[in-house]
Amino acid sequence: MSLRELLRTGPFFLDGGMGSLLQARGLKPGEAPEYWNLTHPEEITAIHREYYDAGSQMVMTNTFGVHPQRYSPEECEKMIRAAFACAEKARQKAKSGEEKFIGMDIGPCGKLLRPLGTLDFEDAVSGFALVIRIGAACGADCIVIETMNDSSETRAALLAAKEACGLPVLVSNAYGGDGKVMTGGSPASLTAMLEGLGADAVGVNCSLGPDALTPIVEAYLDAASVPVLMKPNAGLPQEKDGKTFYTVTAEDFARQVAALVPKGLRIMGGCCGTTPEYIRALRRAAEGLIPPPLKDPQRTVIASRGQALELGRDPVIIGERINPTGKKRLRQALTDGDMAYVLNEAIAQEERGAQVLDVNVGTPGVDEPALLERAVQELQAVTDLPLQLDTADAAAMERALRVYNGKAMINSVNGKQEVMDAIFPLVKKYGGVLVALTLDENGIPSTAEGRFAIAERILKEAEKYGIAPKEILFDPLTMTVSADTDAARVTLDALKLIRERTGCGTVLGVSNVSFGLPSREVLGSVFLTMALNSGLSAAIMNPLSDAMLGAMVCYRTLTGRDGNCGEYIRYAGSLPVREASAPSAGKVSAGPAEETKGLRRAVIKGLCREAGRLAKEALDGGRDGLALVREEIIPALDEVGRGFEAKTIYLPQLMMSAEAAEAAFTEIKARAAGRGGGQPKKSRVVLATVKGDVHDIGKNIVKLLLENYGFEVTDLGRDVPPETVLEAVERLRAPVCGLSALMTTTVPAMAETVALLHERAPWCKVMVGGAVLTEDYAREIGADGYGRDAMAAVRLAERFAQEKGSEG
Amino acid sequence: MADLLRVEELGEIPFDEKEILRYALLPASAPAPEELPLRECLEAARGAAHCRAVWRRFPLKRHGEELDLGFARTASLSLCRHLEGCDEILLFACTAGAETDRRIARAKLTSPARGLLMHAIGAQQVEGACDLLCRRLAERFPDRQLTERYSPGYGDLPLVLQREVISALNCERTIGVTLLDSLLMQPSKSVTAIIGMKERQGI
Repeated sequence: MSLRELLRTGPFFLDGGMGSLLQARGLKPGEAPEYWNLTHPEEITAIHREYYDAGSQMVMTNTFGVHPQRYSPEECEKMIRAAFACAEKARQKAKSGEEKFIGMDIGPCGKLLRPLGTLDFEDAVSGFALVIRIGAACGADCIVIETMNDSSETRAALLAAKEACGLPVLVSNAYGGDGKVMTGGSPASLTAMLEGLGADAVGVNCSLGPDALTPIVEAYLDAASVPVLMKPNAGLPQEKDGKTFYTVTAEDFARQVAALVPKGLRIMGGCCGTTPEYIRALRRAAEGLIPPPLKDPQRTVIASRGQALELGRDPVIIGERINPTGKKRLRQALTDGDMAYVLNEAIAQEERGAQVLDVNVGTPGVDEPALLERAVQELQAVTDLPLQLDTADAAAMERALRVYNGKAMINSVNGKQEVMDAIFPLVKKYGGVLVALTLDENGIPSTAEGRFAIAERILKEAEKYGIAPKEILFDPLTMTVSADTDAARVTLDALKLIRERTGCGTVLGVSNVSFGLPSREVLGSVFLTMALNSGLSAAIMNPLSDAMLGAMVCYRTLTGRDGNCGEYIRYAGSLPVREASAPSAGKVSAGPAEETKGLRRAVIKGLCREAGRLAKEALDGGRDGLALVREEIIPALDEVGRGFEAKTIYLPQLMMSAEAAEAAFTEIKARAAGRGGGQPKKSRVVLATVKGDVHDIGKNIVKLLLENYGFEVTDLGRDVPPETVLEAVERLRAPVCGLSALMTTTVPAMAETVALLHERAPWCKVMVGGAVLTEDYAREIGADGYGRDAMAAVRLAERFAQEKGSEG
Repeated sequence: MADLLRVEELGEIPFDEKEILRYALLPASAPAPEELPLRECLEAARGAAHCRAVWRRFPLKRHGEELDLGFARTASLSLCRHLEGCDEILLFACTAGAETDRRIARAKLTSPARGLLMHAIGAQQVEGACDLLCRRLAERFPDRQLTERYSPGYGDLPLVLQREVISALNCERTIGVTLLDSLLMQPSKSVTAIIGMKERQGI
């Protein structure tokens, strides 16, 4: 039987711990175990052999810590070759005649990947690929990726293994007591992701004893269609008389692990604290136990870093707003690379109940592959919703799929041969749930039968790649009812036909139905209800629309999916109160003066919504926007600023006032946009947290206040290299630049940036700030000014801008 | 080596609004302003922190001007004073976890003031977790007297010591904390410190 078959049959026995055995043989604390492959090969061989003799069918090479992040490629190669020589020698010497295997052990590389750490995803992939290629050349029977506590790094290692060799790959994660891996990620989300990428087995090792790991393994068994593996610790380490021992005995360990075999556990061994004795006991305990046959749970699952979402059970909301079609402001943000706008769209949709976010960044003049990759990474840093990658550019799709941490929805493929040839290989390689549009070279069929025929063809083609029907959702295409009165009916008929005959899930972009008609949401929401009633699995829609969201919520409530009507009640509470019934009738007489007094108070008190509303009312009442700024908002800000300087008002209050002022400005700007003009802009300021530093809260406060005071701020973010700051200052010919640093270790980067600016952009005044800086320190590194706090920074910027102005 | 490391699960620390406002740079003397979105922020932060610590006991030796901490040597005078009379140390690292950072990043996007409060909540979590850990350690070594915790960066104890600290505690594997090249820890709401241990003095 091949190794793959043995793994799929089970039970299959791995080895136990290595580290503690090496220590017993003299490995010193702090000494790297992998060095012993070179210095003490006979000890390593002996340990492997003991495991084979105890009943391990596969041992893992002593290569856990070998990675180019720690060693040079030459050192890696030497240690790996020596490790395989040890395992091979043990295999030849071992007693039993049972077939024996050697797995190449791959552990974490020791650095965290972006966005949590600084290691680039592709650098991690190429590092793993380097060591895996060496192992494959040394005769590895399979690759065992283990003790991974970050899902992104797990992906990098698995992708590297898949690209570097054709060997089976076993993937095992380390869990905390909360049932999650350290950077987030559950058995269900990891299983979806790893199966999508083609892992031959998934599971868990290290971290905990067998009893504590049992519920985690059961969750794997519930989710997985590939074999599940388990390598627990021998309980927790304890110290007695200066010696370390583990709490779980070999017999208890064996009994607890073997108890999972009848539930489906196939591959088992031990981790820290386990010895050949544990493996011997485990084999005895599992004697005669046979796991039930492997079966696919037949679920359509997508996943983010930490969440798995099943499609086809309850209807799902896919937020459509990150798509520049017909959205001028988003198009501008994408062209400018203003990711904050995109991220805010994501959060707003999530807060309104979106469960998946569609991400489309295609707009003329941008490098779509690079921008989609960046958007995916930045979105995943702030939201844990699964994403639907939406692009017609196959290169952009692949870039995004490579970095997407999870199992994505892929939007889309269709019946055109050329498109299927480009997209199916990507789905096969990276995994994902595919949205398939029922159109082809001849366009969109006008009948339900015609659309179903295309769906069938797509399924046939998918089968050639080994892509299961459960990984495909069909989109029978919403057409505009104003162009064809039959359009909605045909779409719904096609939806039902496809569901009934293929069993696949369905998805629709519902908004299109009302194109060209007034009160679009009314029509759209009823169409959505009809589609849901026809069995729609997911709707691509605008969750910020009360009517559309209402249709979805009501459907869930009316079909018994909303316990205690809680979701409906929350939704109803979010609806705007009708003007006529608002209890403001008595206040109508309040004149404009009252409102503006209220506005000034709202800004001082930091009442955002209030400030926005009062500004709007004042404008409605005929107040001039500019006067409102000059006479109400700025005096309010000044009062707060003075209070801050006098220490009667504190930072959080200052920030709330700034946000309230911003809310008022937004109203004024919205009004002014129609008439061209608004608050006159003062000069341009470029802001950045310097290279190496990731603290940006101080910088963000400065930004907010500067904007309040009318400066046009370009925020370069954090960890910004000197050259990038210079590039922006030159491009914008900014007269003022503000730099922030919090750490003593990043002040040199600040000094370097100041020097570069003074040399190449001598017109620009540089102000600096941050916790480690003082007036003297700032002067020492050559800054033109030091901002003790945010207000001081505003005063400095005003002075610099004025000087600039008077210079002409 | 890893056997000598102890991982402590500390969970989510109860929110302490006074402490949180103090970390948000609002002094205790100032009345808590009602317009601060503290409630919403506490709601948004709930469930995010999963505090964990790892610690290890080391013998402490003195070589002339230098302290041998068992995992590194240092000539720091302020630490030397702090550890006066001690013959052992407990080295620990503690983190509120990655989810806390993500919630902060999210809050910052929508509102800087909320970002500040979320930062403060994260700080209260990790500081509270350190306090809890120290209480547990004091209970664990009832016959020893423990000093206050002392972190790299305090006094003249250099921040570069972080490299040895993080590696001695195998932080990446034990509690998921790594060090960036700038010596910042990731997740950001993390603390490392040294506690001295000495013979308990008679009452």
